[in-house]
Amino acid sequence: MKRKLLATLLSVAMATTLLAGCGSGSTEAPAAADSSSETTDTASTEAPAADGEVQEITWMFWDDLNATEDLISKGYADVIDRFNTEYAGQYHVTPITTNLEEYYPKLNALVASGDVPDVFIVSPGPNLTDYVEPGVAAPLDSYLADGWKDTFTSDAVFSQQTYDGQIYAVPLNIAAACCFYNTEMFEAAGAKVPTNWSEMLDACEKLQAAGYTPITISAGTAWCLSMVAGYLCESKGVDLAAIADGSDTWENGKLEAAATDLVELSKYFQKTAAGDTNDVATANFYNEEAAILIQGSWAIGQINGENPDFESKCGVFQFPGVERVIAKSDSLAMSSTSKCPEACVALMKMFTDDTAQKYTAEVGGKIPVTNVEYDANVAPAQLAYVMDVFSNAKGTFGFYNESMPSTEAGAHFDDDMVAVFLGDMTPAEAATDMEEFYAANCR
Amino acid sequence: MDKLLRSKKNIILFIAPAFILFTFVLFVPICQSIYYSFCDYKGLTPPVFTGLKNYKALLHDKTLRFALKNSIFFLIFSCVSQLIVGLFLAAILTNIKAGRNLFKNIIYLPCVLSSAALGLMWMFIFSPKLGINQFLAQYGIEGPLWLMDTSGFIILPMWVIGFVCLWQYAGQSMMLYMAQISGISKSIYEASYIDGCTKTKSFRYITIPLIKPMVGTAVSLNAIGSLKFFDLIFNMTEGGPNHRTEVLATHLYLQGFKHNKYGYASTIGVILLALCLITTGVINKFFKTENYEM
Amino acid sequence: MNKETTKSRIVKAIIYIFLVFMAILYLAPLLWVFLVSFKTNKEIFTNPFGMPESFNLENFTFAWTAGRLGTATLNSFIVCTVTLILSLIIGSMAAFAIGRLRWKFSGAALTYFLIGMMIPVHCVMIPLFTRFAKIGLSNTLTGLVLPYLTFSLPLTIYIMTGFFRSMPNELIESACIDGATVGQIFIMIALPVCKTGLFVTGLMSFVNNWNELLLAMVFISDDNKKTLPVALSKFVGPYNTNYSQMFAAIIVAVIPTIIVYCAFSNQIVDGLTAGAVKG
Repeated sequence: MKRKLLATLLSVAMATTLLAGCGSGSTEAPAAADSSSETTDTASTEAPAADGEVQEITWMFWDDLNATEDLISKGYADVIDRFNTEYAGQYHVTPITTNLEEYYPKLNALVASGDVPDVFIVSPGPNLTDYVEPGVAAPLDSYLADGWKDTFTSDAVFSQQTYDGQIYAVPLNIAAACCFYNTEMFEAAGAKVPTNWSEMLDACEKLQAAGYTPITISAGTAWCLSMVAGYLCESKGVDLAAIADGSDTWENGKLEAAATDLVELSKYFQKTAAGDTNDVATANFYNEEAAILIQGSWAIGQINGENPDFESKCGVFQFPGVERVIAKSDSLAMSSTSKCPEACVALMKMFTDDTAQKYTAEVGGKIPVTNVEYDANVAPAQLAYVMDVFSNAKGTFGFYNESMPSTEAGAHFDDDMVAVFLGDMTPAEAATDMEEFYAANCR
Repeated sequence: MDKLLRSKKNIILFIAPAFILFTFVLFVPICQSIYYSFCDYKGLTPPVFTGLKNYKALLHDKTLRFALKNSIFFLIFSCVSQLIVGLFLAAILTNIKAGRNLFKNIIYLPCVLSSAALGLMWMFIFSPKLGINQFLAQYGIEGPLWLMDTSGFIILPMWVIGFVCLWQYAGQSMMLYMAQISGISKSIYEASYIDGCTKTKSFRYITIPLIKPMVGTAVSLNAIGSLKFFDLIFNMTEGGPNHRTEVLATHLYLQGFKHNKYGYASTIGVILLALCLITTGVINKFFKTENYEM
Repeated sequence: MNKETTKSRIVKAIIYIFLVFMAILYLAPLLWVFLVSFKTNKEIFTNPFGMPESFNLENFTFAWTAGRLGTATLNSFIVCTVTLILSLIIGSMAAFAIGRLRWKFSGAALTYFLIGMMIPVHCVMIPLFTRFAKIGLSNTLTGLVLPYLTFSLPLTIYIMTGFFRSMPNELIESACIDGATVGQIFIMIALPVCKTGLFVTGLMSFVNNWNELLLAMVFISDDNKKTLPVALSKFVGPYNTNYSQMFAAIIVAVIPTIIVYCAFSNQIVDGLTAGAVKG
């Protein structure tokens, strides 16, 4: 018996031995660690200053400021650098960055641990509500009152950030969801810019016949597909507010019709749409592998940043068959437990000052929120097209997944739309499923 | 001497650090987790006891159904495939002399590498435009969408992930079996050859029965490992497309840390725990019946 | 007899062909990633499987600086080493108490610790996370060491108990006669005799923790405290299309392990096997 035990132990032991490789990897690591100090030095702007008098704040953002090619993110990085230079010795901000997918889980984790970042970026809608309701985000009206608010284009830019008459977040820029298209491909295929649904299908058909992939989209990142579904729902007249309060239902045929259109359109998606993530889908567009990209105008920064030659070929049209556009702003909220609100406000003001807003328009290609004057000739060509779409539209509405009672309802909608696209659900089943979810969780 | 080894003070001194750690970092949290599983708990507000509500919600959770199916598929697939492949490799490697260590070390290599890194590597290899499909395209073959296809009861991505898992961990099972096989006395084999046994027969009638206890150990290691499985899936598909490759561990992460539903995630944790305990119990019962003196 | 040899030669040839095939299956993916990490993004598509046009290190510098893999490696090293030392000390103490000291509940204690082997870390993640958040341990390396340590204990205790039980009684008896205390017996006799066991369990816990992703991802949000698997997963997020830089990051993350493994695996296996024969 003893021998048997020993044998067993030794065999486990033997198997474990080979793990040695990595274990001894430890001897390798110190060398790696030494050279890493260089890395930390170059990133010294982010190391907390040792000076006790400097007020330290943190800012949380959803892109990696060091690795990003996105022009908007680069602009934010500039703001952080400017802030730390201008207020050197007084305030210092340290960014906390994640990628977009991980952003809210990480932010929630920090909130749960009582370690809320002083300033954090957040999408308006239920995401912001999540932080306003438990009192995590602070009301900003008293800080805005000193004339800061007057620099904004209108009070309307605050509408999505206002709860019970109080403003809880400051918008930085506005993006509208549009259809970007490759003008060369359209020309070669003899396709016309569509103004209604049947023209859209017609254009896609021509593009496909000419051998192009008509539409690139991401169903791997569910909200991208759901954005198109949102436009289709709008075109069928879905009334989210009425559905949320129970005076209307998802099963009134409108969602079903929208989802049916989605299935029809999906014939023209790239083959890998089911698994492609947002960035892969966008890359398909600027690498000229597909003719149409339906995306928010924040993608301009990404497209021009990754492939500067593409700007001249890129056109923009409004999603056909709808009168309003989907608009969204990046907004900054401030922690109600911040030890140094003055520093936070100074930082937020720097994000909306003329330098930053000018950059937003001229380089980033997003619509500025303040009355800044920018040089339209310098700004990306696409921005002018988006501005046209924006000013021709009869109003704006939010992303569908961000206009529902809870973030989870939004995620459920996204998932259902992807399921319809994949053929796991019929449009009618999706409508029933949404209705059941609302009945159980939202009303 | 006996008195020294029975000293209460010494015993407590030696066992206490491990016991305290274990109790506070493992045992108490498990109890808490079970309590949370009966609560509505969103992280920002304290837990509110709601009875079986979370457990009822499990029944309506479509993603959970995928996750449970995938976890069980994974459990069976990895136990069976690792048993066969591991035993086969061990049988071959114990029978050759030249290059045994080399091949053994090569096959064991992925076990020591980070599955996060390997998951990313395989994600690229199976992505639509790179790796395998690029290779097949050279011969004019259009490869399938390895990680995106959603047709069939067990979808293609799950088979792919299962294969990668086998690739990574086959070496571990192999080592366990090799250690056990090389522990079997040579004289037993010699005796069997004199009696006219072929190598195949002696493998069937001597090796297999004698390594049965180790099979039990290896299979239960595999079983627990496959139920805990997270890194590879997280880095290969993140549970997509549309949650079809979600397993219990990734679903728990999603519900708990993406949707902030700590209570519901704890419920999934309890299911996972129960599954682990049941599986280990069944495997132990199945393999630990007979003992041979070696 | 001659016929027999031909047959066995064929079998042997088949076996080696199979093994070479397996070796390719294991090494080719790693080799491919290695080669691609030197290429440019365009080259990946024009020349996917050949040698890179030039062995430039730009991708690696980018991965190293932008991915902060240096800081991450250091963090992983700190966490794993601290965990390793503590788990060996605490684990072998408990194992000594279970394997060598004489008390009624030693069997029960072993069972208690062994249950830990069956419990997936996911089940305790949420309570631990909320508790650590309250006492300020979340987002610290200490907050990672504690659960890593606890989850390393069952295996350490299991293996070390076996080693302590199998060591000869006479050693302890003679020490007792010389008037040694239990502490002295443990440090001066038991640990040196069972150093193979310490070595083996230490390696195992080190490797497991070095590669752990989930807890580190949940507990750590500060970029400067991320461990290697987290930094890598974050950097090579599935939403990136800068393939060659991502491949470089993967290589940076695994190459130290591979080098050390190549250099030492044989020696370690031989040493252990010899030790096993003696024991």
